[in-house]
Amino acid sequence: MRSKLWGWSVLLAVVLFLSVNSAWAATVRGVTDKEIKLACLVDLSGPGKYGGPPIADAFRDYVAWVNDTGGINGRKINLVVEDNGILPTTTMNAAKKVILKDEVLAIAFNLGSAGSSAIVPLCAENKVVLMPHGANKVFYHPGNKWVFVPHTVQFSMASRAVEYVLGKNAKARIGVIYQDDDFGREGLEGASAAAAFLKTKLVAQAPYKTGTIDFTPHMNAMKEANVDTIMLWTYLPQSAAIIKQKVKMGWDVQLISNNTTGVPPLFALTGEAADGYMFVTPYAPVNTDLPGIKRIKEINKKYGNAAKTLENPAYPDYLYLAGWGYIEAMAQGLRKAGKDLNPETLVKGLESVRNFDMGGLCPNITFGPKQHVSSFSSLILKADGKTKRFVIVDSIKAPKTPQE
Amino acid sequence: MANFKISYREDTALFQNLWVKSWLGIFIAAMIVLPFLLSRYQLSILNGMGIAVIGALGLNLLIGYTGQISLGHGAFVAIGAYTTGLLAGTLGVPFIVALPVSGTTAALLSLIVGVPSLRLKGLYLALGTLAFGFIIEYVLFHWDLTRGDTGMAVPKIGAGGFFIETELQFFYLIMFFAALATLVAKNLARTKIGRSFVAIRDRDIAAEAMGISLSKYKIMAFAVSAFYAGVAGCLLAYYQKWIVPGNFDISLSIAYIAMIVLGGMGTILGSILGAILITGIPYGIVYLTDALRGTYPNLSGLIVDLKLGIFGLVIVLTLLFEPQGLVGIYRRIKVYWKTWPFKY
Repeated sequence: MRSKLWGWSVLLAVVLFLSVNSAWAATVRGVTDKEIKLACLVDLSGPGKYGGPPIADAFRDYVAWVNDTGGINGRKINLVVEDNGILPTTTMNAAKKVILKDEVLAIAFNLGSAGSSAIVPLCAENKVVLMPHGANKVFYHPGNKWVFVPHTVQFSMASRAVEYVLGKNAKARIGVIYQDDDFGREGLEGASAAAAFLKTKLVAQAPYKTGTIDFTPHMNAMKEANVDTIMLWTYLPQSAAIIKQKVKMGWDVQLISNNTTGVPPLFALTGEAADGYMFVTPYAPVNTDLPGIKRIKEINKKYGNAAKTLENPAYPDYLYLAGWGYIEAMAQGLRKAGKDLNPETLVKGLESVRNFDMGGLCPNITFGPKQHVSSFSSLILKADGKTKRFVIVDSIKAPKTPQE
Repeated sequence: MANFKISYREDTALFQNLWVKSWLGIFIAAMIVLPFLLSRYQLSILNGMGIAVIGALGLNLLIGYTGQISLGHGAFVAIGAYTTGLLAGTLGVPFIVALPVSGTTAALLSLIVGVPSLRLKGLYLALGTLAFGFIIEYVLFHWDLTRGDTGMAVPKIGAGGFFIETELQFFYLIMFFAALATLVAKNLARTKIGRSFVAIRDRDIAAEAMGISLSKYKIMAFAVSAFYAGVAGCLLAYYQKWIVPGNFDISLSIAYIAMIVLGGMGTILGSILGAILITGIPYGIVYLTDALRGTYPNLSGLIVDLKLGIFGLVIVLTLLFEPQGLVGIYRRIKVYWKTWPFKY
């Protein structure tokens, strides 16, 4: 009797196991004849909450436009926007939810370097294409089959900043204030690499701990080193604090920073003192009339809430543009993948995207089997304190410093 | 069914009567069959809970049983995870070695806070353990070997072509260790060591007067607790396959404290219930949000905004209405059925 019971139990377990597996194998996760399911993981809660909504706005507007104009190869996009809470643990939970529960084909955006690093194995194991928005070169070098970076990373932008400064003045004395984490250190590495490439050196370096807002010692160190340009690999609150410290010291030193600080709230925090503040970014300002910008404005007006987003002067538009660049890159990969869409064909589709025209909004997108980062190029923008706008001072260019 | 106990041995027996044994049998059978009925996502939730149970058991032995407050439990989980990362990821050490070494490393490093605990009490000990947590986090961020917030890869568990990689396989592995950890903790609580822990918690001076060595048992409590945390960290590292310092910040230590406080301090069952509750709340919110998304799209967005608030509210309400934790509810239900149909 007992052995019979065991026999039935084992048979039942085997049948259940096989049925579950065969059901899974018969379909492609996140793809039907009519629909492609994509995820966008952004911060809707937690310390990075500021960054999430504009990215989600861009995704929603783009998806609404694509679906309204016939979809991709006849399939509509079903977008799942999920809160990743920026922390690695919360990002892992969000990624598990969209992969295992919602069963998306790909994660077209994930905000945060550490969280992205944490979910790479999960994505690779489940054959999910991941597009991380983070600082780390490690996402494309040495790279991973399932990870694509449609964004210029901090290393490249820092190289570009130093090359720009030294291009204007070969004898410039450059100091660096950087956040003592991977984001800041990657900026320092990019800057050091560019300085070495141009056969010079950074004259001073001052790291700070996350959350620091008093930069008196850092700025004093820069002054003592007699620098004429300070590169800031900082976030917005720190850049604003440094601008104020510069004014307090009565020191006319040039500041150049990264894209995360070039947002309208900079003017709210520092007023006209922001005038002349430069930063490197892959994204053109929304107030330009470049073809790529005009196009997204039209789509935003038709499918989004323009008054609250791109027409709102306080809106962090660069994040909207970042989101746009990502979904545009993913959509192009989906188009190239063709009708027979699955994770493998999506990878091949993305790898076949060549010089996709972004109309000046950001560098054109190129991927390849050995290149999973779309570009090394960026622009230099400058803050105009009077008009409270950012203007292009140097157009899209790639740094000459080797990037790999 | 008569349920009288006529000896201490019977009173402290692990499986006290046929009912307990029957329920345990049903539970084990359910745990074997359940994974075949659940989705991979639901299995991943159970896997997270299983790892949390191991860590919570360790902390409850320290705080609940011995009365030594610790705000650095997450750091010991990190030590276990990074020991595994370094051993398995860098040196290729197999799981069977990495697991005990991770636990032992965490236990050895617990001496850093265990020894000062002989002179520190209450808030001061809490601050000491908190500082230890920050130091570990700093080291993980800045030590070249641990690769900062880029993190470390952890290989799969396996040998000879067989690997543990699916949620189902991890479910059985994690549940095996969670059951083992529960059994060890339950047994430990019944031994002289467990009774010494409780004596120290209740009144350390009286315990010392009874001949209990405070230094020995306090350090032992820290070591055992850290060993559990190290094992939890090891399993977490293998399960997630990638570890970053952000996984082990102060919020993890706080979550573990919430688990044992809400579950029930000084009880093994409380650790398990608390771990399930605290790990389960975010997933409960996910299901709630998904259920409401179609009907009330704005409300589901609001839930995301209020996620932390909901989490806090559940904790506050539990503490207000059930200060003994979930184990208090369990006890009341047990007494109700035991005495049914009578009230007392």
